[in-house]
Amino acid sequence: MKSFKIITLVLISMVMVACSSGPKISYGDATAVETTTIGFGSTDLQSIAAKMVDDLIAFPPIVQMTAQRRPVVFVDKIKNKTTEHIDTESITDTVQTKLLQSGKFRFVDMTAVKAVQEQMQFQMDSGMVDPAKAVAFGKQTGAEFMLYGNMSSIVKRNSSAQDVYYKFTMKLVNLETGIMEWAGEKEIRKSGEKSFF
Amino acid sequence: MGYLKIEPWLKIKQWLKIEKGLCRTLLAGMLSATLFGCAVNETATVVVDGDQATQIIETNSGVLADSLRISNTHTGYAGDLLKVQATITNDSNDHLDFRYKFKWLDKNGFEIAVDGRPWTPMLISPYESKNVQAVAPDPRANSFKILLQN
Repeated sequence: MKSFKIITLVLISMVMVACSSGPKISYGDATAVETTTIGFGSTDLQSIAAKMVDDLIAFPPIVQMTAQRRPVVFVDKIKNKTTEHIDTESITDTVQTKLLQSGKFRFVDMTAVKAVQEQMQFQMDSGMVDPAKAVAFGKQTGAEFMLYGNMSSIVKRNSSAQDVYYKFTMKLVNLETGIMEWAGEKEIRKSGEKSFF
Repeated sequence: MGYLKIEPWLKIKQWLKIEKGLCRTLLAGMLSATLFGCAVNETATVVVDGDQATQIIETNSGVLADSLRISNTHTGYAGDLLKVQATITNDSNDHLDFRYKFKWLDKNGFEIAVDGRPWTPMLISPYESKNVQAVAPDPRANSFKILLQN
């Protein structure tokens, strides 16, 4: 009986130590399903980006178009029509990175235009750069396509439950002709019970 | 100070004397919590080689492995990118809530775009089949894996 009590006490202390003095900070899987709150989260961002990229690069006319060349694309902002603050640039960044890595598209980065302009101005005007090696103005490639989209949500709640539905739409438009070459859509539904504590 | 130090110990000693059965229950509970609390999620894996389309299913024992079946894997190409589809079937009488993830490998077995795809949640009704599709991140991919996790 004595040894039985000792084992019990040792186990109690082990569990208490494990629960109370364990590490408070830990690394997790960045691709794991995250359901901390019902709001827009990392899983939603990752699944939207994966679906958009899969749809775009497997769409037959796009497959045909990218078979021989890598079209240049400009990414516009995603309009956030939801009631939440969502960093939509983060979604387009992920989509852009995946498309670039697929080897099917090239991009012009409009977020870096000012910095590029400053650098070119420095090369031309500062007198510190060999004019023969300075980057020439007016040689940049114009985008052939524009990628843009919308994000909207419908939120419903009652006294005990809440439901959120997200709809993400992305479109690829030919800048010269104005023809929409591709559109993709991803829907997400999340439901949760309201906590009273 | 002495009072503060001694009292909790006495309380535990008195409490331990209350009932032997209670101690046993507590011990069993703690043992099971220690054993199963940190259980690793079971995983089923399918590997399809691009040309031969051979399938290797690796399952660990458990509810998910017993209830879910991966079948009818199809491969094709969108241009030079590997496009795949697999059917996940629920052979049980329960609604199953699980997640799946694709991994891509090149011809030498190196994983491409590590952590490039997220775990995707999926709900499946009793005896229902659902198809999951994905396109390889770049032309180097010639085989893939599907991981299932509960």
